[in-house]
Amino acid sequence: MTSSTHPFEQEEVMAYLDGELAANRAANVAAHLRECADCAAAAEQMRDVSVRLSDWSVESAPASLTKKLDAARAEHAVAKVRKLQGFSGRLGGKSSFLRNRWVWAAAGAAALLILVLRIGLSTARQELRHSEGLQLAYTEQSRSADLPESQAVGTTPDHFMARPAPPTSAASLGTSAKFSSPSADGQSTPEPTAPMIARTASLSLTVKDFAPLEASVKAVAQRHNGYIASLNSASPQDAARTLSATLRIPSAQLESAISELKQLGRVEQESQSGEEVTKEFTDRTARMKNARATEERLLDVLRNHTGQVRDILATEQEIARVRGNIEQMEADQRALQTRVDFATIELSVQEEYKATLQGAPTATATRLHNAAVDGYRAAIDSVIGVGIWALQAFPTILIWAVALFAPARWIWRRLRRTAVSQS
Amino acid sequence: MTSDEQLILELQQGSDAAFTELFLRYRERVYGFFRRRMNDAAQAEELAQETFLAVLRAAQRYEPRATFRAYLFGIAFNILTAHRRKSALNTTQSDSAPEEVPYPSGTNPENVIWVRQAVERLDDAEREVLLLREFEELSYEEIAKMLHAPVNTVRSRLFRARLALREILATTPGNLGGRK
Repeated sequence: MTSSTHPFEQEEVMAYLDGELAANRAANVAAHLRECADCAAAAEQMRDVSVRLSDWSVESAPASLTKKLDAARAEHAVAKVRKLQGFSGRLGGKSSFLRNRWVWAAAGAAALLILVLRIGLSTARQELRHSEGLQLAYTEQSRSADLPESQAVGTTPDHFMARPAPPTSAASLGTSAKFSSPSADGQSTPEPTAPMIARTASLSLTVKDFAPLEASVKAVAQRHNGYIASLNSASPQDAARTLSATLRIPSAQLESAISELKQLGRVEQESQSGEEVTKEFTDRTARMKNARATEERLLDVLRNHTGQVRDILATEQEIARVRGNIEQMEADQRALQTRVDFATIELSVQEEYKATLQGAPTATATRLHNAAVDGYRAAIDSVIGVGIWALQAFPTILIWAVALFAPARWIWRRLRRTAVSQS
Repeated sequence: MTSDEQLILELQQGSDAAFTELFLRYRERVYGFFRRRMNDAAQAEELAQETFLAVLRAAQRYEPRATFRAYLFGIAFNILTAHRRKSALNTTQSDSAPEEVPYPSGTNPENVIWVRQAVERLDDAEREVLLLREFEELSYEEIAKMLHAPVNTVRSRLFRARLALREILATTPGNLGGRK
């Protein structure tokens, strides 16, 4: 029986008998077997082999197999329970929740995520600190570099500090503060009858012509019977010149002074504020009055004393103490009065910067040298930075590595077992 | 009647009853699997027990892609292979004299011996395919997966085994001993 005389090989007929052929192929084989006696006989012999093989029966499984298996199952169950108990016991005897492998897998993943985030945040923080440090260092360097070139006026010239005599009366001030008549002895401070306001103004300007600025500011102060409390100007290289000044102008003339200052350049920013100091002034006036009365009584005691020298000395010491307090309060009161009489103008002026061509450009060799030095410093800084980061992060990484070792190993073994069983 | 696959899934959920049912269904067949491949009945019993315990332990690994029967005999085959490897290292144990095999009631002992001896004369690879097909009733594909061989190879081996067995069985029983 060959393929030349029969359309199907015996092996295919065998597959048909085993039910291993596709439906259409099986139908063809079945049809052929009905027509071909040779193939049908071969198929019958093949079936006979299977029938004869079925004679090979073996004895029934011994009953001990069931018993042994039951015992082994019980042992397996006990071992499983012990394992779970031991497992959960090590974890604090929690519920089966902790025995769920997915819980552990999730916990491991979460711990890993936290570790990654922590390292990432730590790195970002260090980079931020590093950049802030660089920026600060750059600022400090810029300042130190600018100082020699600037005309910084650390000590304000005396003529700027020359302060005109404060207005002697409330009428001359024309300010918002109104006072009652002073007492006859001239020592008592007048009681305010109107709110006392300490006014402050802030003005930022940009000017095109910086040269006459100082003189202009000084002229404004003088015109308004004011004075310049401080003035600083700076002329850094490759940057705009700046001037900052504190002007004290009689409060009544504050508005007009500000208007004149605005004429000097373009206004970048302007603000005004007022602080009411009436209560502070009144309180201090009352305390000064009491202190003076105390002083008068002590002086009377001293004048009419009939006691021992020790008492006289004690009275004098007390008079000196009270006198000191009175003088301190008078000074504070005068300062407060000045703040009310003279408004403060914080002036900040910046020149419109025009870049100017410097001398000959830096030589190429010098630039290469500088670049090499900068590169070397950057490389060293990066190595040191990595080292510092490693030292800072190592304890954290070590802790998490220890914590994650067991779950990671469990997951890895689990995956490996799955791969082996699938293969 | 609950299918084998449904039972193993219930076993995965921790059902002892499902395992008992599977054991009752396959106890004889698993024991027969080992018994036809080894002379030592006690050894066959031990390996059958080991097979069912492996099913119990590894129930979670079962995936419904394969029939339970193929899964079960795959485990049995692996255990048998491991046992044979171990026995090959221990020559004294592997060469132990085969014990007398008791014959089930209602069977002709001569026929049993005849067939068994005929099967033993087959090539090892062909014999294994024949036994897996005839007694474990695995498909060609399941046998191929178990033996890590192509399906066509399995079919060829099976065909050769059946042809050889047909010739052997066609001879008289008295000539069997001389042909081995």
